[in-house]
Amino acid sequence: MKIAVMSCIHGNYEALNAVLSDIDDQNADKVYCLGDLVGYGPHPNAVVEMIRALDIPTCQGCWDEDIVEGLNACECSYPSVLAEKRGKLAHDWTNQVIHPEVREYLAQLPFSLRDDNLCFVHGSPHNQHEYLLPEVNAFVAMERVLATGADVLFCGHTHVPYVRSLDAGQLQIRVKVTGKSEANMSFSAPLKRIVNAGSVGEPRHGRPNATYVIYDTNDDQIILREVEYDYQKTCAAIIEKGLPPIFAWRLARGMEFAERADDPTHVCER
Amino acid sequence: MTIWAILSGIEGNLAAYEAVLTDIKRQRQPIEELYILGDVIAARPESKNVIERIRSPRANEPEPQVCQGWWEEQLLILHGLGRAGEPTELIERFGMETVKILWDAIPRHMVEWVRSLDFGFFELDCLLIHGSSVSVSDELTPNTPPMQMLDRLMRMDANLLFCGRSGLTFQYEIQQGSVTSSIITLDQATSPQATFVRPRQIVGVGNVGRVPGQATYTLYNPNTNQLEFRTVRYASGKGFQRARQ
Repeated sequence: MKIAVMSCIHGNYEALNAVLSDIDDQNADKVYCLGDLVGYGPHPNAVVEMIRALDIPTCQGCWDEDIVEGLNACECSYPSVLAEKRGKLAHDWTNQVIHPEVREYLAQLPFSLRDDNLCFVHGSPHNQHEYLLPEVNAFVAMERVLATGADVLFCGHTHVPYVRSLDAGQLQIRVKVTGKSEANMSFSAPLKRIVNAGSVGEPRHGRPNATYVIYDTNDDQIILREVEYDYQKTCAAIIEKGLPPIFAWRLARGMEFAERADDPTHVCER
Repeated sequence: MTIWAILSGIEGNLAAYEAVLTDIKRQRQPIEELYILGDVIAARPESKNVIERIRSPRANEPEPQVCQGWWEEQLLILHGLGRAGEPTELIERFGMETVKILWDAIPRHMVEWVRSLDFGFFELDCLLIHGSSVSVSDELTPNTPPMQMLDRLMRMDANLLFCGRSGLTFQYEIQQGSVTSSIITLDQATSPQATFVRPRQIVGVGNVGRVPGQATYTLYNPNTNQLEFRTVRYASGKGFQRARQ
């Protein structure tokens, strides 16, 4: 079975359409979405309506949560005052234009999804705001997969796609408990993988193309897909709707620019 | 030579705390630092006496350094000062009756003191905290999955984590370990690389007030890395009520 996994559409209807067409071309049997349907982009309602119409199983992303909870996105993840100001503008704009039924839909999205030995989350199994970047310490990365009980963990949130294989994990432990004899234990973990689906609507891998992944359960093969679309159309809509022009600027370049957090592993404790 | 006394879970049991203080004073080497890793209070009226005692150490006693525990967090939630809006966890575990007892037990002027407590302490390469680097509710025991134990240390990059949530006294040593990792992106693939872990430890410091007549706590010498788990027996029959659990 071929499974397509996408994430971080961010109100970019043009990119979503292009990715859905590519998924059709790849003959995927099933599609999962890892959240962040809204935020930054100009068409949040249309994106949600499309995902609902196609009945795509979807996790709740951090932007989806923020719109539901009526909170601005985690302030401590903003690297600068300017970035925070722009983030709040995008949040306020999305909050104003979102339809009530769309908000209700975002509210009922689950934190995670399971399919056999696969687990799907937005950021990490512990927090929608946690970035599982490829450079995260290998032990920490392995803990995140083990915490789910799955073999493959699909996530998004970073907007940069990757496949990380974690193999031959082992720990030697000695435990002393009062009143009991000392015990030596060894722990070993089988092959685990983290698959980051990147971003459909706001890529940050250095090019404007939308990204998603195809996972083939038959041969365990994972393919990172990069899909061209008319990003200029989305950029024009961003300007037209009155969203901060820098969103169009970075969308056209696939760049995070000055928005990168100083400490991407930091998790909001809100 | 500096020796630390580390305790947790007094849970409003003043007699137990006094017994531990007495035991601390009896030590051959003077105890210079006293860390209390949360749960100073519980849902019992005597809790306010424990706060008063902690805030007024006697001349020959170390000044306690106190951080928040689970009960302190529940109290702050009750007063609208916590991270959660509702005391859901407290109600689920102990019922509505306990909510009222906790509310009545701590006078308003003491709530501010509770609010001022740190989440934990980082001293030398040691993290001292009630639950773990994740939350006050996170309970680490010798049965916690090993990778989860390591994660709790790595979140704060500590070599030694002292915690009190479980109430157990234990020493959990991660002696060595490795993981092989490889990454494929749209533009490149890295060859497998091994990551190793350096030796680290998690120590359960015990519980002072939960078990009537018996308090456990920990002594630690940061210069020699020596640990000692202490068990103190005390009389618990003089009006002492069993802690609500």
